[in-house]
Amino acid sequence: MVENIEAIAGTDGMDSKMIQFRQVNKWFGSLHVLRDVTLEVAPSEVAVICGPSGSGKSTLIRCINRLEPIRSGEIFVDGMAVHERNADLIRLRTEVGFVFQQFNLYPHMTALENVTLAPIKVRRQKPAEAAALGRDLLAKVGIAEKAGSYPAQLSGGQQQRVAIARGLAMQPKIMLFDEPTSALDPEMINEVLEVMIQLAKDGMTMVVVTHEMGFAREVGHKVIFMDEGQIVETAPPEQFFKSARNERTLMFLSKILSH
Amino acid sequence: MWLFYLDSLQDALPFFLKGLWITIQVAGLSLVMGTGAGFLLGILRSARIRALNLLLAAYVDLIRGTPFLVQIFIVFFILPEWGIHLEAFASAVLSLTIYGTAYICEIVYGAIRGIPRGQIEAAAASGLRWWQQMRYVVVPQALRPILPPLVGQYVLLIKDTAVVSVIGLTDVTRVGWLTVQRIPNGILVFGLVGLLYFLICYPLVYLSNRLEARLKVEESTL
Repeated sequence: MVENIEAIAGTDGMDSKMIQFRQVNKWFGSLHVLRDVTLEVAPSEVAVICGPSGSGKSTLIRCINRLEPIRSGEIFVDGMAVHERNADLIRLRTEVGFVFQQFNLYPHMTALENVTLAPIKVRRQKPAEAAALGRDLLAKVGIAEKAGSYPAQLSGGQQQRVAIARGLAMQPKIMLFDEPTSALDPEMINEVLEVMIQLAKDGMTMVVVTHEMGFAREVGHKVIFMDEGQIVETAPPEQFFKSARNERTLMFLSKILSH
Repeated sequence: MWLFYLDSLQDALPFFLKGLWITIQVAGLSLVMGTGAGFLLGILRSARIRALNLLLAAYVDLIRGTPFLVQIFIVFFILPEWGIHLEAFASAVLSLTIYGTAYICEIVYGAIRGIPRGQIEAAAASGLRWWQQMRYVVVPQALRPILPPLVGQYVLLIKDTAVVSVIGLTDVTRVGWLTVQRIPNGILVFGLVGLLYFLICYPLVYLSNRLEARLKVEESTL
């Protein structure tokens, strides 16, 4: 029986890949922002993307849920062909949560309403049901008591945790984080990282653009280094830090690890 | 002499109130329809559909670039040439709606463009469809910057209803024209006409100023 299931899973070719990029290229005008990007992320894998600013890492992660369209190449997410013109974006985006650098919480809604909007409107959950789930998620990210607060009444760290709860509310298979701690005051970075670490330990498939190398060390399975639109190096964290070979990687590491 | 005129004017008062009622009906109907259509077109304009955008921009420019007097003449005198016959009241409401829609469309579109891109991206990333992004995330936030200029636009539109008197609709302005022929004291007659407009418009002017002031306070506390 078990063999049977594996055999079936094996035939569709997507069993070991939650996210797959094949030769992806993207331009902003004349700027070639993604150059032949090929990568794979397995289920429950945590991939950390780092690199200098302007290297294309944010663009790459935004291609996964098609906030950015691509010019050429193929992207598969949980078996869905994201690059295809008629891709079902609604289905794709309900399976992929996204956390932004600037939180982007809806300022006219409470924390709880931020979390429950998509479940109610997209999943057609009953409001009471969605609210119960929303409260659970706010408790999970450690701010149950802020359910009725508006974003303007919350600190940056609290806002970002609400944003994570909002991303989780659709019960996605994948969570994407685009520099989730870069807009935070230093003393708030850890409260957000702790939530992300717990999420990783729970087995969530994650792609995280960040320079928080402590996070990469603790729960990352692979570190992807990008420069000028290309993936320069991909390695497990320990190997990445100890024996990065590429010159550009070494230069980047010396900059971010020196303080 | 003034007392005599004042007396005659008092006799004519029911006539004025009747005209005022026409003015209120024309203004009310066209404001409601213009607001509905203006919001719809303003939201559609922010959909970034190229052909639709060009069309809407052309409509807005055309309406804003021609006098309302000419527009109402076109509706009242030229549409019948094409077999569309509207009576004066319907012509007045239709032309005012077309006119008001263009301005309200621009107010709505401008406010929506001022909403940070990240709001739309967050809504899109959570699986909301385009119209849901607009309905639940963008438009509610745009209402604050929309309201003060919208109410100001209402005042302008109410005053512009005076133009409908040219196609023979007996609104309060035309009542003034008719009355001044019997009571030849223009200051008195049109003073009353002006006062009646002011009584409708002033509460809106006041409201617009209050909304504007509140918006400024909110912006400075953010």
